Amino acid sequence: MASMTTSTARTASEASATPGRRAGSRRVGRGGRAYVPWLFLAPALLFLGVFRFWPTAWGMYLSLFHVRPYLGNQWIGFGNYTKAFGDPALISAVWHTIFDALASVLGSAFIGFCLALLLEGPARHLRLLRTAVFLPVVVAMVAAAELWNELLFPARTGAVNTLLGDVGIGPQQFLSSPHQALASVIAVQIWKSAPYDMIIFVAGLAGIDRELYEAAAIDGAGALQRLRFVTLPALRPVTTIVLTLGVIRGLRVFTEIYVLTDGGPAGSTQTVVPYDYMQATTNNDVGYAAAISTMLLVVTALLTLAVRWWRAKVED
Amino acid sequence: MATLAAIAISATALTGCGGGNSGGSAANATGPLSVWVRGSGDSMKAYQAIFSAFTAQTGIKVNVFSTLTDFETKLSAAASAHKLPDIAVDDAAQLGSFETQGIIQQIEPSTISGSGQLESTAWNEAKDSAGNDYAVPFSVQANLLFIRKDWLAKLHLPVPTTWAQVVQDAVAFTNDDPDGDGKADTYGMDVPGSTSRGYISWWWSTMLWQAGGDYVKSDGGGKYTAALDGSAAVTAAQEFEQLACTDKVVQPGYLNDDTTAANKAFETGVAGMYLTGPYAFATFDATAVKGKYVVVAPPLGPTSATLAEGTDMYLMAGAKNNEADKLLSFMISAKAQNLGMTAVSTATVVRLPVNNTVSATAAHSNDPRWALAQQVYASAGHFEYDSMPNWTALRQETSNEINAMMANCSSPSTAMTNLNTKFQSLLQQQGVAG
Repeated sequence: MASMTTSTARTASEASATPGRRAGSRRVGRGGRAYVPWLFLAPALLFLGVFRFWPTAWGMYLSLFHVRPYLGNQWIGFGNYTKAFGDPALISAVWHTIFDALASVLGSAFIGFCLALLLEGPARHLRLLRTAVFLPVVVAMVAAAELWNELLFPARTGAVNTLLGDVGIGPQQFLSSPHQALASVIAVQIWKSAPYDMIIFVAGLAGIDRELYEAAAIDGAGALQRLRFVTLPALRPVTTIVLTLGVIRGLRVFTEIYVLTDGGPAGSTQTVVPYDYMQATTNNDVGYAAAISTMLLVVTALLTLAVRWWRAKVED
Repeated sequence: MATLAAIAISATALTGCGGGNSGGSAANATGPLSVWVRGSGDSMKAYQAIFSAFTAQTGIKVNVFSTLTDFETKLSAAASAHKLPDIAVDDAAQLGSFETQGIIQQIEPSTISGSGQLESTAWNEAKDSAGNDYAVPFSVQANLLFIRKDWLAKLHLPVPTTWAQVVQDAVAFTNDDPDGDGKADTYGMDVPGSTSRGYISWWWSTMLWQAGGDYVKSDGGGKYTAALDGSAAVTAAQEFEQLACTDKVVQPGYLNDDTTAANKAFETGVAGMYLTGPYAFATFDATAVKGKYVVVAPPLGPTSATLAEGTDMYLMAGAKNNEADKLLSFMISAKAQNLGMTAVSTATVVRLPVNNTVSATAAHSNDPRWALAQQVYASAGHFEYDSMPNWTALRQETSNEINAMMANCSSPSTAMTNLNTKFQSLLQQQGVAG
């Protein structure tokens, strides 16, 4: 646990002038200057408070009600939560979300890593290529989804199907088939997020001491062995960041689903957040939607803690 | 901890105040009217023309807020803050939901001048299930079948008058290259099959009624029993499935298509037949498909019926009633109804007028398509159950089930049995099960 926590604590105490006790006495001596850092933090805290913490707390509170904005809410205790556990559409959305998050995160990380290996380096042409490869990240998802909708048109005349036809594969249904839609959505997600992962990996690769490679080479390690015994272990912290960010992003997936399929066909791409949104809007059940959001928040928080714990354990 | 307690206290205070002045009005209040309209783009120009005419006539200013996305969600937010507009203009299908939420007021017909000239079906549709008036209609329409007449001519096909001919033409459109480009890239039927906003069931409703089926049967006293397990519903489901799964004449990707995508498929010559409302005349006439299609009363089954929809005006709780009534009266006047049809050629915000003294055909320079639209609405227009406490939830469930059935080409009778069970349980949840 925490080598990171301990080291942070250590650095903090070192920075605040050793030993800590004297820092305390000095604070009193300066006469109430302790509020100064808080003043600097105040704008950000106020902003977060109004737009993050307050709505979150409010949402948790609403999850205990049958929400009727005008007539007054009705207290139903954990009724919305009980409903969630017995809602087959939500349960299937949860499974889709888990599958989608895992597949897209692992896929993006793998492809991002491969791209990073190929495109790492200071040469100008590599910088150009990296920029080109990075473009999907900066394209608005809505625009990209429209583009992919066209590319994946499920008839023989569709762009991707034409290419498949050239190599003798018949037209695929992609987003129109309940059996292929989730995989198609995942492919689009990987296309969109792999370059982002690539940039993080490139930064990680740049930070590896070149002498390690040279030493390994002198010891007779081949390219694959250098990758296995030098690059991968050195990238472990970076990989954790990529996976953590990816999982959190994956659990909250919304735009890709909403624009590409809106959960269809046959609910095969329905994930938690679009389902939640539908409960609040189409079905006008804000209390239930708040309960689903609250559970998602708890799961995301637990997952983040778990990853941090695991990482700390591994690094110890 | 203290913060949390404070949050809980202020939240309770807010909620407590929710029960306070529901349904109240500020009849004597004055000032500009606040009107919310579900719409965007050119539609808003048309509404603005009507509101300007109202201000010129009465001196009462109108402040408009409009959005197409999440209109009802934003209205809910305004309701929580107790800052509702005076009038909201939205789909007739929201009536039951708004009434259940307590955000609209009952309408007193005697305070709406000209209400005696209102078209009776639309006026009836603005009642809740107990028969009380809860909205004033502004516009109505009923779906027509749009068909590519150049494709019919090329393949020497008849304009369909029976379901069998619809299928026959759809198959020919798919297999016989009606656009003559040598590629198999055309389809017979254009279907918005997405579950989003309930599109697929909205399309299928016409088929269900024409087969002689219905979503529910009325038990009287505002109570209903689900009726989707009958043979007519199964036939309607079967025929729909046959189009996509057996004959394969529906445009590819239809299960994810909303109306924008389906419109595009018709406009760009992907599909040759499309069941949609007459508002699409203006949309299609701005594209390459202009002049290349005919419209007919949809022959989808033995019973004459087609989906009718409306736009209603809702008098919101706490509204400035005196002035709001004046605007409601103006909106149904011949002047406003005509403006709604003609002020902006690309956006007929009044599709068919709700005022009996106004004619859509005359407003559109005797365009025979509007004459047909008017006639089909009058003879076969069939509304969904807009006054249910939450029809949109019922429509969403129908869409999910039909979309799943179509996607898997699974048994229509099983799908209808499942849907019927879910429908009945939703009716129970909404407190209207017989």
